[in-house]
Amino acid sequence: MTTPIRIKGFTNEVLGWKAWLQTVDLESATPAQIAALEEMSPQAKQSAYFLLLAHQPEMLLQRSIAFNAIMFAPGGMPRAERELGATVESRLNGCVYCASVHAQRFEQLARRSDVIEQLFEEPLTAGTTPRERAIVAFSAELALRPETLSARHVKPLREAGLGEAEILDLVHAVALFAWANRLMLNLGEPVFPQPA
Amino acid sequence: MTTSISTTAPAGSADVIDLAVPLAPSHPLHGLRRERPKIVDATQGSYDAMFAADVQGISVVERLAVALHASQLCKAAQLAAHYRQRLVDEGADPQALLHAPGARLALILDFAGKLIVRPLDGDKTSIDALLAVGLSTPAIVALGQLIAFLSYQVRVVAGLQAMADETPGTGAAA
Repeated sequence: MTTPIRIKGFTNEVLGWKAWLQTVDLESATPAQIAALEEMSPQAKQSAYFLLLAHQPEMLLQRSIAFNAIMFAPGGMPRAERELGATVESRLNGCVYCASVHAQRFEQLARRSDVIEQLFEEPLTAGTTPRERAIVAFSAELALRPETLSARHVKPLREAGLGEAEILDLVHAVALFAWANRLMLNLGEPVFPQPA
Repeated sequence: MTTSISTTAPAGSADVIDLAVPLAPSHPLHGLRRERPKIVDATQGSYDAMFAADVQGISVVERLAVALHASQLCKAAQLAAHYRQRLVDEGADPQALLHAPGARLALILDFAGKLIVRPLDGDKTSIDALLAVGLSTPAIVALGQLIAFLSYQVRVVAGLQAMADETPGTGAAA
């Protein structure tokens, strides 16, 4: 196994998550709650996070459809780059849990973690290629200052060769993690693995 | 079924993102969005779920007040106008709600404002304070989802507005 990345409180290790409120008991869940959990992923029924969100099944159902379409749909922006956008937003919001999950997904897809280390170290300037730096810079701007985002911020993406569909995929991925980070940060907290 | 189409929406396919950017059906970005139909439908479906009348324990007016407050904090003018109009349509006074809220709504707005601007400030004490003023666990989950969704909505609109700004040949439509 490779050594885990641990930089400025961020990591690519597998973390747990503890809810601050009572989660839905799977034994007594309604059909709508089960359907929403199953829409999300095969593992969602074992996750405290998704069992908490199941208190509002229609919200979870719609969010699950959006999540899976934004992160996994074929075509458009390569999936590793969507994961990179998600990780930028999570790093800037201080969501250690989301940053760890999506750093892992980036690594699985891209077979490298150099840009993740850069991102944990200094999120505004990370990127190993001009294209990656453009993606990171745009993601950071959308994360931090959506109110002043303009054509000026889109231009470097075009210059780095991104097409219209790829740019919209990136907007969705970053925006989705503005959503996910706030759920993770305001309804519970990450649990770190016990030192061996 | 409850619907939440604004009175200004043209008949047919217009959704809240298209209204807020704004994107007319003839705009190239309107068509580009439809290349990801699941995202368009689930974004509008999420909006509908956030303000559904059958969500209990936190009223539609309280949820719309959170949305207006959040849009104002994010300086999202079109979304703020949309939520202000929806409050008026519900018979509420947006000005009075945001400037002189009761103790319960004041706590809800404070919770929302903090997490919109700086989500890292979320803590268990804030959740316990919401429980203490009588919000149920499902109502707090609804509030958490709403705040989080609004952060998404603001950024989808902002991203599309930036793209619309620079899309060649569409300047005249702006």
